[in-house]
Amino acid sequence: MTFAQRLTAPGWYRAALGTALMFAFGGALVVGVRALYGWDPLFNWDAIITVGALIAAPFGYLVGIGCFDYWFYWASGRPTRPEDHSGHGARSWKDYFRVNTDHKVIGIQYIVTTMFFFIAGGLMAMLMRAELAQPGTQFVDPNTFNGLFSVHASLMIFLFIIPVFAGIANFVIPLMIGAPDMAFPRLNALSFWMLPIAGVMMLASFFVEGGAFATGWTAYAPLSTETPLGQQFFTVGVQFAGASSIATALNFLVTIITMRAPGMTFWRMPLLVWANFTTSLLVVIATPFIAGSQFFVLLDRSLGTHFFTPGAGGDVLMYQHVFWFYSHPAVYIMMLPGFGIISEVISTNARKPVFGYRMMAFSLVAIVILGFTVWAHHMFVSGMFSWLRVPMMITTMLIAVPTGIKIFSWLATLWRGVIHLRTPMLFALGFITMFTLGGISGIMLAVVPFDIHVSDTYFIVAHIHYVLFGGSVFTIFAGIYHWFPKMTGRMYDETLGKLHFWLSFIFFNLTFGPMHLVGIDGMPRRVADYAEQYATWNAIISISAFIFGASFLIFLYNMIASWRHGPAAAANPWRAHSIEWQVSSPPPIFNFDEIPTVVGGPYEYGTPGAVHAVFKEKAPAQVPAPAGGGGAPPPTE
Amino acid sequence: MESASIAAGHAAHDQEHEHHGPPEANVSSRVEAQFLGMLLFIVSELMLFGAFFTAYFFIRVVAESGWFPIDGQDLPVAIAAVNSGILLSSSLTMHWALEGARRGNRRALQVGLLTTFGLGLTFLTIQVNEYVHLGFPISENAQTSVFYGLTGLHGAHVVVGLTLLGMATTRAFRGHYSPEQHRGVEVPGIYWHFVDIMWIFVFSTLYIL
Repeated sequence: MTFAQRLTAPGWYRAALGTALMFAFGGALVVGVRALYGWDPLFNWDAIITVGALIAAPFGYLVGIGCFDYWFYWASGRPTRPEDHSGHGARSWKDYFRVNTDHKVIGIQYIVTTMFFFIAGGLMAMLMRAELAQPGTQFVDPNTFNGLFSVHASLMIFLFIIPVFAGIANFVIPLMIGAPDMAFPRLNALSFWMLPIAGVMMLASFFVEGGAFATGWTAYAPLSTETPLGQQFFTVGVQFAGASSIATALNFLVTIITMRAPGMTFWRMPLLVWANFTTSLLVVIATPFIAGSQFFVLLDRSLGTHFFTPGAGGDVLMYQHVFWFYSHPAVYIMMLPGFGIISEVISTNARKPVFGYRMMAFSLVAIVILGFTVWAHHMFVSGMFSWLRVPMMITTMLIAVPTGIKIFSWLATLWRGVIHLRTPMLFALGFITMFTLGGISGIMLAVVPFDIHVSDTYFIVAHIHYVLFGGSVFTIFAGIYHWFPKMTGRMYDETLGKLHFWLSFIFFNLTFGPMHLVGIDGMPRRVADYAEQYATWNAIISISAFIFGASFLIFLYNMIASWRHGPAAAANPWRAHSIEWQVSSPPPIFNFDEIPTVVGGPYEYGTPGAVHAVFKEKAPAQVPAPAGGGGAPPPTE
Repeated sequence: MESASIAAGHAAHDQEHEHHGPPEANVSSRVEAQFLGMLLFIVSELMLFGAFFTAYFFIRVVAESGWFPIDGQDLPVAIAAVNSGILLSSSLTMHWALEGARRGNRRALQVGLLTTFGLGLTFLTIQVNEYVHLGFPISENAQTSVFYGLTGLHGAHVVVGLTLLGMATTRAFRGHYSPEQHRGVEVPGIYWHFVDIMWIFVFSTLYIL
């Protein structure tokens, strides 16, 4: 391939070219307009970076990498090309670095990419714990520290927990419901390729004048409208992460509604499918609100609008209302898919049907609805309308009821089960205990007077990590271990997996447990220094945090080594009933030869001879199929 | 064990039939995927407008900052009303174009789409012209910020709608679409109707109320 051909064919060369061209275009636009109006200085680098690097360049990259090629061709109205499936499925490792429409490839792309950002965010946490190991300033100045915790949280939330769930679901859901792919495979690819833009922006913010955005992941106005350029990287980055998230959620909803296998009624769907269905509803409805809140900040910063200037008629608290109207549902976006994973793992490894299957599904729906009615419990100390406090306290406590239904149903599923303590099961059990603790501290925080006492202390940090690490991340580990054989066709090392679990479980508690105590004592969060009286606990927390961080290396080694050299996995190593386990490991490139028929529930463990889905009789399939048999075009447009 | 043998057989078959492509997906809903996708996209668009209307509500009602006319500057209601008429009539021509596609009347499809596109473009031009002659910048106060913010957001949606219509028009002139297969007209059409209906809300909250 000549260099010129490389620059015009979809791929990394064209992506680099597109990025550069669009950056130049955006920059020229800014300079041109400023010249036209005679503004001084002509080269306003804040504006050039915002328009050129943050807004224009990403589109150049997306076009260059090849996300839009098909649509450009389609829009031009030329004759329809027959689908040759050349962009579907991975035949070598290089295919993972191209725009690919196969949901299995996209799922793995998601998981590996988000792991990279997980490591980046984790290293920032390590640096923060190093700084906090003793009072005073050791390694970083306070402004850098503020940048560290802000970028840490933003990466973990927008670039790890939310998208890694999308990755796992991408791989598993179409197989689970008996679909050959997602409903919109090209949109699916676009969703994935938008994601790294957000992450790269957030990381890049460290290198601009004034340092990384330092306003926390919540970026409250008017602080965020007055901070240096780094803030802009968050404000725009979130838009790309949000757009990616909405597009994926829309795709899941359409796939689950329109592409289920025959016989797969809603009440025969595995609970992971239910979980992603409800999560996707939340994403589609709530995510535009964070887009809105960041648009206001962007406009206030760039165009001098006054959404948050009280002197000019603006309303500062409006930011928090709009932001939390997304960001409270977002904590369920970060938890419901994990609930689904846990239901799969527990019922498979306890060899019992999920207790109260319908209530498990209904409680997901209840969480979606109640999730929209609790946002202002984040604002008890903000000075909002005081009459809103008690209603928000009550709804917040109410939401513990559907969550409690789920916890007790899992416990009842375990009751008198034949429990196999494999790594995913250990993480599932760890999840139940840790998430319950985090849930209980959540109930404590719902109580207005207690919340006022511990607002902006380490109690909040402890709570968020018990629900997001002990909750979400444990379910992510459970899910990755559970489906690792299916994704890679190889088995992970069980001993290393168990070691990873026990180390992370013990040191997770030693890291975040004491934070409750220092929090109630009044140690403020988001500050680089602290009073002498918290020194002992903080030293213990930091040492635990380092071991906790190191335990992740075991996971990483296990995954990489097992992927390369692990023993081959059977199609169904866990003897699970759901459809993804009834195909080979890894699954065939088009998932199925023919779509299976669902004949029963997904969790009929313990019933002799029970099956969830059957494939058609083998006899007709063994007769050589006529040319073009099964060659229907994929459901794409 | 039955499942294991099926899986093994599956893998073997996959090698032989790989070039044939995927099996046809089961259709588990009467609603078409593209139609449903557009509806869900519109739901999320509604929520984005919802965020902007929330800003409007907080600034006008909660903060009691007042509304136009501010310092003697008012919004040109009459021009905007005429402009609304132009935009809303484009929904009718859109429907006409779609009916043309359904009945196999290519001329009606082409003229309908072109007219819709033209009306949308006219709306946008008048809107930009209004911006130029308003006499207050976006950075004057919170009310002007909300005014430009909401109308600008809507204008951006008109641009997206016009892009989709542009694609449909190009394809209509290059011989695509038939009475059996006209999803590429129908789906942008839904979006266009959404943009039109949204304008009714934007217009009545900003200009009339």
